[in-house]
Order: sequence, then C-alpha cells, then structure tokens
Amino acid sequence: MLKFEIVVSFSCLAINMREAHKTNTQLQLIEAIKANDQIALKQFYMSNYHKIEALVLKNSGSIDHAKDLYQDSFIAVWKNLKANKFEPKNETALQGYLYQIAKNKWMDTLRSRTFKKTNGLTDETLAKLKEKPVDDEIDTNESDLNTTMNAFKNLGQPCKQLLTNFYYEKKSLRVIASELQLEEASVRNKKYRCMEKLRNIVLSSKS
Amino acid sequence: MYYPQNLKKLNTNSNISQEQLEAVERYINGTMADAELKTFTAKLDTDSEFRTQVNDIKTLLTGIEEQSLKEQLDEFHKDIKKQSSNKGSAKVRYLQFRKLVAAAAIIMALGSFWFFNQNPNERLYSKYFTPDPGLPTTMSNSTNFEFYDAMVNYKQGDYKTAIKKWQRLSANTPNNDTLNYFLGVAHLANKNENVAIEFLEKSVQNDNFSLIDDAYYYLGLSYLKEGDAELAKTYFKKSSVEHSQALISELED
Repeated sequence: MLKFEIVVSFSCLAINMREAHKTNTQLQLIEAIKANDQIALKQFYMSNYHKIEALVLKNSGSIDHAKDLYQDSFIAVWKNLKANKFEPKNETALQGYLYQIAKNKWMDTLRSRTFKKTNGLTDETLAKLKEKPVDDEIDTNESDLNTTMNAFKNLGQPCKQLLTNFYYEKKSLRVIASELQLEEASVRNKKYRCMEKLRNIVLSSKS
Repeated sequence: MYYPQNLKKLNTNSNISQEQLEAVERYINGTMADAELKTFTAKLDTDSEFRTQVNDIKTLLTGIEEQSLKEQLDEFHKDIKKQSSNKGSAKVRYLQFRKLVAAAAIIMALGSFWFFNQNPNERLYSKYFTPDPGLPTTMSNSTNFEFYDAMVNYKQGDYKTAIKKWQRLSANTPNNDTLNYFLGVAHLANKNENVAIEFLEKSVQNDNFSLIDDAYYYLGLSYLKEGDAELAKTYFKKSSVEHSQALISELED
C-alpha cells in the first residue's frame, strides 16, 4: 500500500513538474527563487549581473557601486516575489524586472545629494535614466528588520548555521539531524534555544 | 503538540515557548490545519499583544532569511569576480591573442581528428546526446526529499552521488518508473550505457509512464552508443521526441 502510494505520488509529480518545466519556465524560476533554491538563485544572480554593471559604469558609477546596487536590487526582487507582488508577463519578465529596479535605485542614488557632491553629475546622465519608477516595497518595520539582520549576522556559529539550514535553506529537522549526527528532538530543541538567543540579542539592542 | 488554549499564554514579549514558535512557523508556511488556523487568526484579530508577538517572530524569520541571502550573494559574487579576472585587461588579451589562435587551431585539429575517428554510431550519439534536464527542485515537498535531493546532485552533474541516492530509494520501490528512468539517464550521462539500458527498459514497462517518450528516446541513444543501430532505431520509432525523427533518418542514410 505504502509502496503504491509512493509510486503514484512520484508519477503525478513527474507529470505536473514536467509540464510546468515545458510550458512556463518563468513561473518555475519564481517558485524556485521563493523557495531559496540554491541553484536557481545562483544562476539568476550570475546571469544578470553584467548588464547592471554596464549600466552603472556607463552612468558615473564604479564597480563597487555596481555590486552594492545589484545586491540591493536582487534582494528587493526576492522580497517582492516572496510577498507575491510580481506576476510574470513573458519569458524574460523577471530579468527585466530586476533590471528596472536596479535602474530606478541607481537613479535615486544619482539624485541623492551626497552622490552629487562627490561625483560630478550632469543633467544629461540624469535625463538618460529618467523613467517611471517601480514600487519596490518599503517595509514599515525596516529598522526592526535591520536590527534582526545585524544580530543574526553576529550570532555565534553553531546557532547561525543551524538557523540558516532550517529557515533559509529549508532543510527539514530530520535532514539537519542526520547531517549533524544528532537526534531530531535535540535539533528541534537546539533550534528553539538558538531562536531565543537571537531574540534576546534583538530585544537588548532595541532597548 | 500545540493547542489553541496555549495562545492565552502568548502575552509577554519576553517569553515565547517552543510550541508557540512552531505555531507561528506553521502559520507563515501555510501548513496550519484549518481548526488551528481559525483560532489563530481570530486571536490575531482581537488580541493586539498577540499580534505584536507574532509580528516580532515574523521579523526574526524574515531577518534570518534576508541576512542569509545577503551573505550568500557575497559568495556568488566571488564567482563573478573569478569570471571577470579570467578575462584580464584589454592589453593582455591583445598580446595573448596570437597564442590563443594557435592554441585554438591545435585544439580544433585534435578535436576533429578524434571526431572523425569515432565510428558513425558514436558520432551520432555525441551529436544528439544531452543529459535529461531533470525535474525542477523546489525543495518544498519534504516527503520526496531524498528524490529531489538526488535530483540536485544530478543537475550539478554529480551523477555518481545521484545514482547512489536513487539506488537507495529504488531498493524499496524497484518498479517505480520515474526512479528507474532517472537512474537510467544518470547512468547514461555517467557513460555507463549497459546499466542505463537495464533501468530504462524497466521504466518503459508501464505504458502510462508520463515520461515514456523521453525514456524511449534515451533507450534508443543507449543502444546507439552501444553500437546496436537496429535496436536504437526501433526505440526511436516509439518515441515522439523531436530528435527521434532526425536520428531515424540519419540512421537510414
């Protein structure tokens, strides 16, 4: 009975996923990115960078500007995907969306005062970049989020690894347990204690 | 186990129990059962302290994910740097251009020597063979975790590991057509056509197998690689994969 069920679920999955594979790679890419699929993320990251680097270099920016801008934009796209704020309209929609967000962000940077002071900026470069901005989600809890991110960044290594495995890489407790050669129950406990640790750091840095 | 009445305890910022944390995880992942979800959302609507607490946990989870992604992007970026430093500066590239041309010519000469020395079946095989792209791995389906875990190895070209993992699953379900198919294509990609044939032949036993056309196609390719053009043709004829027709006509020439 169990065997039969597994066979059926495999076959159904194979049909569904293969269909999706053939008909809509864009949706598939989006699902994979939302699930933090390592391969999809890396591929998407690697294949879109150079276009955006070229945009920045052509418009009074440096390689370092390009990297920062690209990563900010990439995270913005990822967040909007997670919040279901994006619907693909064609096969390269997501790539275009990333480019558009980067372009708008770069335009904001160019407009900002500090940038104008340090880099001579002409109206010409600005005019070239002017286009309708895309809404890229400003979180109301932005400062809380930043506190959390900072706390997590500096969290001690075993905890950080465990929480990354579970919450980011979406590995199951069972898999993490077998990798660490521990009981599943103790990993579950550890995970909770790590979360408490992180929460306390966040709470103490807020007050 | 988590029970709705535990929700009453969720009212101070300083204490969140393991059950409460896991309830919020379920809520965010969308894996909460209907009854629990109902109680949970009702509480969210009426109890502002509870709402704050849930939001705090949400922020923690978002923060972990976003910081992890951020750190991973830096890792990705190292590979971009490697790519561009390989290109080198324009001057160096110009100076090395002649050397490159010479090297390319040698490689092409060696390549074509090797290519034309293959037997015609081998040549056809390498012209048409590309590994099956595999199934998308979204990692969300935990029941088939092992299957998709191996799929990740397969896609990375680590056929040996993929085969090892699938073989373990196959011990329990030796007649699973999808498993047999992927074991077959992995063995073929791993240049082991004899074993590939065994698995692929098993996978086509079931007429309703969803990937049967691909299975026939790869079965044909396996026989082609083995040098049995007649059997290869038989299988290509059964497959509706685009390249099958082209292969049949090339085999008949």
